Amino acid sequence: MRFSQILTASLILLCGGAARAHEIGTTRVAVLIHDDTIYEVEIVTDATALAEKLEASAGAALPSGAPADRLQTLLAGFDEIFRRRIKLAFDGSEVRPSIEYSVVPPIDAVSAAAATIRLTGPVPANAQNFTWNFGWTFASYAMTVGSATQWLEGAESSSPLPLTSVTAPPSRISTARRYLKLGFTHIVPYGLDHMLFVLGIYLLSRRARSVLMQVSAFTVAHSITLGLSMYGLIAVPPRIVEPMIAMSIAYVAIENLFLSELKSWRIGLVFAFGLLHGMGFAGALKELGLPRSEFVTALLTFNVGVEAGQLAVIATAFLLVGWHCAHRDWYRSRVVIPASMLIACTAAYWTVERLSL
Amino acid sequence: MLLLRLALLTTPLLAHDMWIEPMTFSPQTGEIVGVKLRVGQDLLGDALPRDPALIRQFLVEDSEGRKPLVGRDGADPAGFFRVPAPGLLVVGYSSNPSAVELGADKFNQYVKDEGLDAVAALRAHRNETGAKARELFSRCAKSLVLSGTASDAEGDRRLGFTLELVAERNPYTLRAGQDLPVRLTYENRPLAGPLVVAMNRLNPSEKLTARTDNNGRVRFRLRPGGMWLIKAVHMIPAPAGANAGWMSFWASLTFESKGS
Repeated sequence: MRFSQILTASLILLCGGAARAHEIGTTRVAVLIHDDTIYEVEIVTDATALAEKLEASAGAALPSGAPADRLQTLLAGFDEIFRRRIKLAFDGSEVRPSIEYSVVPPIDAVSAAAATIRLTGPVPANAQNFTWNFGWTFASYAMTVGSATQWLEGAESSSPLPLTSVTAPPSRISTARRYLKLGFTHIVPYGLDHMLFVLGIYLLSRRARSVLMQVSAFTVAHSITLGLSMYGLIAVPPRIVEPMIAMSIAYVAIENLFLSELKSWRIGLVFAFGLLHGMGFAGALKELGLPRSEFVTALLTFNVGVEAGQLAVIATAFLLVGWHCAHRDWYRSRVVIPASMLIACTAAYWTVERLSL
Repeated sequence: MLLLRLALLTTPLLAHDMWIEPMTFSPQTGEIVGVKLRVGQDLLGDALPRDPALIRQFLVEDSEGRKPLVGRDGADPAGFFRVPAPGLLVVGYSSNPSAVELGADKFNQYVKDEGLDAVAALRAHRNETGAKARELFSRCAKSLVLSGTASDAEGDRRLGFTLELVAERNPYTLRAGQDLPVRLTYENRPLAGPLVVAMNRLNPSEKLTARTDNNGRVRFRLRPGGMWLIKAVHMIPAPAGANAGWMSFWASLTFESKGS
């Protein structure tokens, strides 16, 4: 993460209430810990004001209007004096940082030149907290550590900051594991509608080829619309998608009552329904949120999780009924027909319910 | 009475002065002048960007009247004004109160540094010398800017700030060897007793100090050259319900002295 990503300016507005208002200056301090091993403190402050204070502390006369390049040399030359009024400590033990000074010229005739002072060094092993003090400003300033902010007066010590608050973004493996689980649970146990659709597909025919062809068509289709929706290339509102998903379940279940063999147009229909369900998955995934840094990982693993959930539904149905009963004479009359009717009734009810929302 | 006091920067004071620093004290007619607000000590200051939560009044007054200073929130300089005609302009900034809490030792030292003897005596009388103190402080800063030639017909003006320093002569017409009379008012009445300090940008550690007489007046013989800051602090017990023990008012007046 870069310093520029840390929003400090916006926090100035958080200091409300007239009687509690502080005299806030232009100094800002940001603290970063890299991989628990390197600390980096960045101070942005008015270069001329700092140079004047350093010169006065050194007993010199006040300079008048030094240009940016001369200010930078001047600040670096006062390094030892500058160190007298800063304090960095880990668990109460002071550390001596490396310090780099840079000065950017003012952006216009009325603005001040800004000094960026970077303090870096190794974090002591097993350090638990960090304390900070900056005595070169008379005004209040914001100090940000990760996403946390403290308001400090000049020369006021910060409270000890726990180093664990500066956490690294989640790794690819943990993101993959998380979204795999989210995809699976979106079907089992939370997605009863998707479970019934998959059951409807399963119940059509006792042939393994029938299940395989339909599931493949469905998977390819929902992967396409899930991806397109997540990248923002298509957007269909849930008030349209959700009732249509319910209708697709009812259709598949009703067709099971009249059909017992896989027809090519049935595969086409399942593919079309897959496109619908993919948009439904996208709606759910958008609600869960995707990490910017691992967008593709999260998208792919969520889709794989959804697939695993569907296969689990089919495997369970096969083990509970298919394995024992699929070849019995009464399988269709006592299992397929009543189960499909139940699915169709439920889905019809959902269709009405979702249309009225 | 005139006293000379030397303060060293190696012993930072606990309370900070606040003053107005225009980008020029001698603008041309029609010129737009940036006005910086500074907080610090010994005229070593940090910028105070424009903060709408703090500003009570931020204005410029000339012979034609008063105008608010325009500016962008969060920006330094905090305000701008345009010089409409030659003459003396009075820039003023008064703030809403800010709260600060100091431990007993720090507060006692600060009261001593600022010459607030009455506050020290009251704390001793109340047996509070060992107690921490919470204070609400407000700023009442002014600056005198001259466009064109100086005239004794023009002078500083009262802006009506709670605590206010008013120059009773136009400082831009002062000659070497002449005193500048300055009057301190609190709620528009002369205030007797407070310590008034004057310091110059060319040698800020050398300070002229005096206490106001019964008419709220001090006289300073100012050396020519450089920007002058004259300041005074007044502290009173806070009224009930203020959520603080004390209230302080910080008056300041800046202007530039022409070289000899």
